[in-house]
Amino acid sequence: MEIFLILGIPLLLAISALFIRKQRTFGIVNSIGYLAVLFAGISLFKSIITKGSAKAFLGFIYLDFLSAFFIFVTSVIAFAVSLYSIGYIRKDVAQGVISKKKAQVYYLLFNLFCFSMFVVPAVDNLGMLWVAIEMTTLISAFLVGFYNSKESVEAAWKYIIICSVGIIFALLGTILFSYAFSISGLSKSLNWSDIAPVAHILDKDILKVAFIFILVGYGTKAGLAPMHTWLPDAHSQAVAPISALLSGVLLKMAVYAILRFGMIIIKSVGFAYFAHLMILFGIISLAISSGFILVQKDIKRLLAYSSIEHIGIISIGFGLGSPLAIAGALLHVFNHAVTKSFMFFGAGNIVSVYKKHNMNTIRGVIRAMPFTGIMVLLGMFALTGFPPFSIFISEIMILAAAFTNGSYTIAALLLFFLSLIFGAFIYHFGKMLFGKLPKGMVVSAEPLSKRLAFLFLLFLICVLGIALPFIKKDLLWFAQRLLQG
Amino acid sequence: MYGIILFTVLVSTYLMVIAKRMPALIRGFRYQSFCLFVFTWVIASSHRQPDLYIVAGLLFVLKVSLIPYLLYRIIKKIKVSEDLGLFINPQLSLVWALVFTYLSWVFSASLLISNETALTSMLAIAFFIVLAGLFLMITRMSALAQIIGLLVMENGLFLLASTVSGGMPFFVEIAIFFDVFVSVVIMGLFVHRINKLFTHIDVNKLSRLKG
Repeated sequence: MEIFLILGIPLLLAISALFIRKQRTFGIVNSIGYLAVLFAGISLFKSIITKGSAKAFLGFIYLDFLSAFFIFVTSVIAFAVSLYSIGYIRKDVAQGVISKKKAQVYYLLFNLFCFSMFVVPAVDNLGMLWVAIEMTTLISAFLVGFYNSKESVEAAWKYIIICSVGIIFALLGTILFSYAFSISGLSKSLNWSDIAPVAHILDKDILKVAFIFILVGYGTKAGLAPMHTWLPDAHSQAVAPISALLSGVLLKMAVYAILRFGMIIIKSVGFAYFAHLMILFGIISLAISSGFILVQKDIKRLLAYSSIEHIGIISIGFGLGSPLAIAGALLHVFNHAVTKSFMFFGAGNIVSVYKKHNMNTIRGVIRAMPFTGIMVLLGMFALTGFPPFSIFISEIMILAAAFTNGSYTIAALLLFFLSLIFGAFIYHFGKMLFGKLPKGMVVSAEPLSKRLAFLFLLFLICVLGIALPFIKKDLLWFAQRLLQG
Repeated sequence: MYGIILFTVLVSTYLMVIAKRMPALIRGFRYQSFCLFVFTWVIASSHRQPDLYIVAGLLFVLKVSLIPYLLYRIIKKIKVSEDLGLFINPQLSLVWALVFTYLSWVFSASLLISNETALTSMLAIAFFIVLAGLFLMITRMSALAQIIGLLVMENGLFLLASTVSGGMPFFVEIAIFFDVFVSVVIMGLFVHRINKLFTHIDVNKLSRLKG
């Protein structure tokens, strides 16, 4: 089974990170490992599509279409980040920002972090799902506070405290779910595969209360406003490759958890309840993030707020609920992961050359670092939903679904905030990318590993944007199947 | 029997709410965890469930002994003032706690379908502990108080799980214990780092990142 490869390789790499001293060799070994994970993820996805669902490891692991999809997204981003890390960590070591020992610690934590994120979609038990998500917080807190500066430690503390409290509410919701299950007269179990088929006979009122706790709890981790306050701090202070993982995949893990519970809620309470809550939080996230994006000064915080925006779009997509909207939201999960990682790589390069985060003082990026500059320019258009890039397709699917559902207010709000954010991005990045080469700065080139990471992600962004309109039928079929459970 | 134990849990939570200094807060947490240990032990012996004995044992080892010991060690090591830095004074905190108790009673009475008083009061106490933990986290400035607030919330959930749904599945319970222990260790490490970099552990003053 591929799932053993997917879970085993990061663990093996984590152990070997302790013993291999040469961080350069290890970086390459790491990337090869994640390439293998990527192939395993693709073949897992393929086999789940044909088989439907699979159990493994004494029923501990349960895989269906949704979990296979999230594992696939994680494996793509993990591979790109492992490529980017080689160049990034080597530069940090060469400049004496971190010691060689610390580079080893980085690879250890990176692998543990990836392992914990592969566990989240794979487990069947809802209690274990909670444990796995809490593990991701605990491990990544070290990566947020990695540079040990005042700012990064403050960010890590806020991150760990706010996310732990949030997730305690999710545990409360999980307990209420299991209470609803236990009073229905069935045997005690917290396995999703046991609860989902009998969801319709569970007590509706308890499930409603429980889902609110779940949404607030995992929503904190997903970065839904107004529980997002930890997110800009943590994402802006983390090591650049880790920011890509946090934004690209970790937020989606919490979305995955919400969806798992959401599927039970839809079956038992009905779709409207789920839809209203998701759309409400989605709109609030869009509104708050667009305001902060307009007035932002820090480049990494800008990208962090843009993640809140995209999580909002995803939750609106799931809230709309027609097959077209669900397909759009799922695609958006993938597209946002790829594009946002791409942008965080770009921001990481810019920050490591200019040594500052403030966008008002960064000028002439295209002159100073031509490759990164062009990539960030393309990425900016991709992120704000410009054709022919992939985010355009998923956003237009969600918008079209909103119009065909007749929810014109939602569509109008979505369009309004998207155009606002588009304008803000053009303004901020236009100032930063163009302009003269700053004095005393030499034109620098990026190492091969970083370039490969960029090109790999750019390939996905462009190819999906062009290919998607042709395979829309298959997508709708997937979404339909997902709705059926 | 259950009534007496639950009453002591309630009292220990009130003690924590009115605590002004760090050692008193940790002592309150220890009482509370000990009461939960006795509670689990009594359930285990009355229902004859062997795995509950293990859960009770773990509760004793981790929450009654190891975690309070770790917290005491942190206080000794970082040598900052042991004051919690209260935003709301003890008297007012107690009033708030009483309000929370009433609210959680109302909430749990409306949530339950059956009208058993015993179950409702257990549920109410569990919700109250969660709320009290949240209250401690919000109204105390010390970083250590936030860790304890989190632990108190977790205790409340433990009580909730063992009363309403007959406990989580065994290995989930073990995993959660492990998780809580690891998180205390990691948060302790961060408290050390905060103390080293800022020379205080007052989270109210951690305000470098904005906007």
